[in-house]
Amino acid sequence: MIKVTNLSKTFISHTKEPGLKGSLKALIKREKKSKLALKSVDLEIQQGEIIGLIGANGAGKTTLVKILSGIVHPTSGEATVLGFKPWERHNEYRRQMSLIMGQKAQVWWDLPAMDSFILLKEIYQIPEKIFTDNVEFLAETLMVKNHLTTQVRKLSLGERMKIELMAALLHRPKVIFLDEPTIGLDLSAQRAVREFIKSYQKEFKPITILTSHYMEDIKELCPRIVIMKEGEFVYDGTLSQIQRLLGEEKSLSVTTKEKKFTISVPRSELSKKTAELFSTNEVLDLNIQDPSIEDIIESIMRNGMTNR
Amino acid sequence: MKRYFRLYLHFLQFSFSKAMEFRLDFTFRIIMDFIYYVVNILLFKVLFLHTNLIGGWTEEQMMIFIASYLLVDAINMTIVATNLWWFPAYINRGDLDYYLIRPVSPLFFLSLREFSANSFMNVVLAGTFFIYSIASYSEPFTLFQLMGLFALLINGFFIYYCIQMLMVIPVFWTQSPRGFIDLFYSLGIAMERPDRIFKGWLRVLFTVILPFALIASYPAKFFIEGLEAIDLLHIASVSIGLGLLLFFIWKKALRSYSSASS
Repeated sequence: MIKVTNLSKTFISHTKEPGLKGSLKALIKREKKSKLALKSVDLEIQQGEIIGLIGANGAGKTTLVKILSGIVHPTSGEATVLGFKPWERHNEYRRQMSLIMGQKAQVWWDLPAMDSFILLKEIYQIPEKIFTDNVEFLAETLMVKNHLTTQVRKLSLGERMKIELMAALLHRPKVIFLDEPTIGLDLSAQRAVREFIKSYQKEFKPITILTSHYMEDIKELCPRIVIMKEGEFVYDGTLSQIQRLLGEEKSLSVTTKEKKFTISVPRSELSKKTAELFSTNEVLDLNIQDPSIEDIIESIMRNGMTNR
Repeated sequence: MKRYFRLYLHFLQFSFSKAMEFRLDFTFRIIMDFIYYVVNILLFKVLFLHTNLIGGWTEEQMMIFIASYLLVDAINMTIVATNLWWFPAYINRGDLDYYLIRPVSPLFFLSLREFSANSFMNVVLAGTFFIYSIASYSEPFTLFQLMGLFALLINGFFIYYCIQMLMVIPVFWTQSPRGFIDLFYSLGIAMERPDRIFKGWLRVLFTVILPFALIASYPAKFFIEGLEAIDLLHIASVSIGLGLLLFFIWKKALRSYSSASS
């Protein structure tokens, strides 16, 4: 299980004004800038659960994933994953955990995937029989059996991501961090990766934290979502709950002579708001509908839960 | 330990497979390094046309010293140099992330992952020159002297590695390691000089603070004229001190590692 209490992380960086003058100034005196990437967050995830961590760029998703996988130290607060403090980097913990970053390769670029897998077998001390079975199972499920002996750099992006998934799952981790695993993939590759994650989760029941900017990933895979905004959790609950909670609103897509815009309006204020729109604007087109899950989440990411 | 040995065998295998793909680079590097060795040897040969002793050593003694530092340099180039060359990029691009999540020492991974198969021929060349310089040495010597020279050169390689690491680790805080690396190359030349030429504060610098003189000069001295117990104690304590310093600074660096944003 994962338990996070009051976890915060501040990054310190230096500021520099543009140009040579700014560089000279920075040489003598540097202005420090601190950025609170995580603000006292709390979270609990049970074994077998998969959660979707969503938020705009810079919301703190990757920072949280990096703390929980032991890459960076938090500034304050506590977190335990499978009973370990991740940043203490116990081998026992690292043997049970895996991280996949969609934007960073972990397998040897110039070598066939199988070579990297053999190295991972040594690193994680995977017994021969389990290793062979896992390679067989994963290669079959991901349909990459024919690519294991091809140099990784010669594979397509989608095939490479499947190889990355294989590399990350060879040691059957109990905790998996998936940081944008479908980024840059075409629609069919995205679907294939999603299908795989879904069936893997069902069969092996690890704790999985998935961050993604693709709503399809979240809708397909995560019954529970955590929405982050500026380092804080603004929503932690199920997808269906959020739809119910916000289902009392209507989405109005308005086209006037000057512009096009969409607003959310409580159901009870629908007639009042529509009348107001017609009296103050020259409305060319008006479309009233239930807001999509994408609209709801985007709105929460932008405005939080209370200020929507 | 056995696991690390097996991992290293995999690194070796990968590196040789990769090197063989780039044949031109493979040949070119061997030629370049061969020229570097010849220039080093010729430089001292020319100096000996004008003098009988350099730093208290005759020409054949000097050849043992030159062979010693060329051998350490070749081993360093083959085993760690490429890795340390990439080290700043790994830190700045956030590639260290994947090393930190593995149940293996990240320092082992970062320092030894790339075995420079292209430089391996240099070890053969330097090794041949080393054997030649010992075989043609006219003074009698014992097996103890020879074994001592070997052991001290291995220790010299360790010292060389520690100094290099201590020069690149600041990249965790400075982002650019250029200043420290330039300092390393400027002062590293001290490894190629007999330690007797360093006096006063320079001696303290090159035997204690940045102990380049302990890499090849002290081992050669042990073989040629023997070392006092106090000198051996000095080598041991400086080596242990450097190792501990590296360990603590590495731990501190990992604590402040902030990775790169995604």
